Amino acid sequence: MEKLASIIIIIGTVFWFISILFLGGRWQWQMLSALILTIGIFIAHFWEELSEGKNKNTPKDDN
Amino acid sequence: MARERISQADEWQTWAQRYDIEGGVRTFESGLTGKVFFGALFVGLLMMPGSIYLSYVSGQSGAAAAPWVAVILFTELARRSFTTARRQELYMLLSLTGAAVGSGMQYRSFIWYAYFVNTPQAISYEIADKIPAWVVPAGDSVGVLTRNLLHPDWLLPIGIYLAGKFLGTLRVVSGQYILFRFTADLERLPYPMAPITAQGATALAETTGKQETWRWQIFSIGSMAGLIWGFIYIGVPALTGVMMSEPIQILKIPWIDFTQSIEGFAPTGVFALRTDFGQMLFGFVLPFPVVMSEFVTAMLSQFVLNPQILYRNEILHQWTSGLDVRAVGLFNDLDFYRSYGMGKNFSLGLVGLAASVPMLFKLRSSQKKAGERGSLATPPNRGDFPLWLMGVLWLIGMGGFVWLIHWMVPNFPLSFLLGFAFLYTPINSYITARTFGVLGRDLFEIPYLHEITFILSRYEEIDIWFAPLPDEDYGAGTQGWRVLELTGTTFTSNLAATLLIMPILIVSGIVVQHFIWQIAPIPSAQYPFVQMMWPINATNECLMKTSLRDGNSEIIQAIRGDYVAAGFTSSLAIYGLLWVLKYPSMWFYGIIGGIGADPGSMVARLLGAIIGRFYMIKRFGLKRWFMFNPVLAAGFACGVGLIGMGTVAIALVSKAVIVKPF
Repeated sequence: MEKLASIIIIIGTVFWFISILFLGGRWQWQMLSALILTIGIFIAHFWEELSEGKNKNTPKDDN
Repeated sequence: MARERISQADEWQTWAQRYDIEGGVRTFESGLTGKVFFGALFVGLLMMPGSIYLSYVSGQSGAAAAPWVAVILFTELARRSFTTARRQELYMLLSLTGAAVGSGMQYRSFIWYAYFVNTPQAISYEIADKIPAWVVPAGDSVGVLTRNLLHPDWLLPIGIYLAGKFLGTLRVVSGQYILFRFTADLERLPYPMAPITAQGATALAETTGKQETWRWQIFSIGSMAGLIWGFIYIGVPALTGVMMSEPIQILKIPWIDFTQSIEGFAPTGVFALRTDFGQMLFGFVLPFPVVMSEFVTAMLSQFVLNPQILYRNEILHQWTSGLDVRAVGLFNDLDFYRSYGMGKNFSLGLVGLAASVPMLFKLRSSQKKAGERGSLATPPNRGDFPLWLMGVLWLIGMGGFVWLIHWMVPNFPLSFLLGFAFLYTPINSYITARTFGVLGRDLFEIPYLHEITFILSRYEEIDIWFAPLPDEDYGAGTQGWRVLELTGTTFTSNLAATLLIMPILIVSGIVVQHFIWQIAPIPSAQYPFVQMMWPINATNECLMKTSLRDGNSEIIQAIRGDYVAAGFTSSLAIYGLLWVLKYPSMWFYGIIGGIGADPGSMVARLLGAIIGRFYMIKRFGLKRWFMFNPVLAAGFACGVGLIGMGTVAIALVSKAVIVKPF
């Protein structure tokens, strides 16, 4: 799930760059990228919640 | 070396613990006693005039700082009476005095519209004679011309305001509480600015006990620094303003503008150094990653993004040489950032939903205790209310408010009011609650929803622009509930105190505002801040209110779908990439806050953050420094408040009694 979320987010980001650089920055293409990114972000958070407890990393207290 | 992934749950929980002054262990007590109530009322009403005056002079009311004066007086009385003051009492005193001091400000809009109705801008834009009677009496009415808020001409505007106030209390209390439960209890957002108030009350409560701890020492250091700074920044201009026609400003208020100096190599960039170095103290308190990433992004925005990309591609196209920060800011805003900012706002809401929806899914199955992320269970004796009851109160308050507005503008489609009330307000409030939970401040407002709505509604009368639409934001208020929790004050006692003091403040606020208005016209040379800002505000307001006239709207033309989409998508991409690269989500809020912002306004905060991160933490250790800095900031606020109130009181009295010969 983590890898899937990462891949979707990267695809969404690359697609957004393409929409800006080569597709004239039209909002329709950008919003399509946003949809892909949204799916990726939701998967990322669902994965985080589902794997809570398995992942025992504690944030470093370094401000 | 690969970074380890830290889940957002762990990240927020760690920050929340760092900002929890008692480590999550506390007992709850009522803070409402007779002596607290009358003490707050007495001191608050005494300070209210200074606060209103200060807001017109320097743009800052000092209402946040003034309550400390009340608390110090209270603790000194307690010590001399050989009794003790509990921190719950002191926090309640802070809260009630704050409400009392700020109560005059609630009538500020009356003074504004009394000015606006007679401005050349309002007349030339043909607005002046179309402002409804429930906003301000006519420009040539006695109530306006004689600067008399107590004149019967003001009966309708004030009556409408009071009806709205009653319904507003219902909505605000319930709306804030519901959001607090979701952001603080369920999501465990850290609320980094909440401990400042909480630690201040704790420090002062300890002075009335048998043993004083480090808190009082740190609070005193902060107070002295605040006194010195307050004298330089507020005291000198206020006192010299009494004696001279032009007050002396040791540091120019509110900023030193370098925008024209940088235009040679960074056209369309802005840099105005904000001179309020009191902000350094907030830099001590705020999370370092947020402050740093915000500043770096703002620098990149103004020195790379604006001049090299947006200007070269003629996206920022209205800029011309020789403009100051306000004009460049306005043009940049119209050309790009207004639209881009809208997109950013929506991304914040979506990111918040993405973080909280999975938690809600897990809520039923989870067996978590109060204080753990993902749990809606409440700590014992906190004085909580049933969520359903608060929901019902909010519905009643909002329903009544919508009805009131419908009465004021009967021809405006009701469906749009309902949309604002029951769709926009909850989303907007949730976004702000999250930014307060992470950054300790409101990051954005969602702009121009009104304008879009008015276009869609095909309503052409100008009265709708003056109606108090039900687009509200309860997010900022959630921090207050967190402070109550940190100080161990029961929620029920706070609510009771608020309801008790409100009627008194409604009456006293209007009397004091009336008196201040009688001293001199607002704006005038006596009130330099409003004299500088209100004319440009009047122009902006005229532009806004006529933006839909004849289908020719500068404001609406400024909203470009492509740019809104760019703001939305780029923000999501930043959030996503930070997640992929395993960076803390704190960075996201800093980067988003910095895009398009003026780095000059962040210098003081950055200095504070750097000193805290690279000197103070090494000197005192992380845990001790995080215990110290909210107390220091509270002491500083107290010092500035004392000097501000003192000098302003002198200025106010002298202006009230000296009759100038010319």
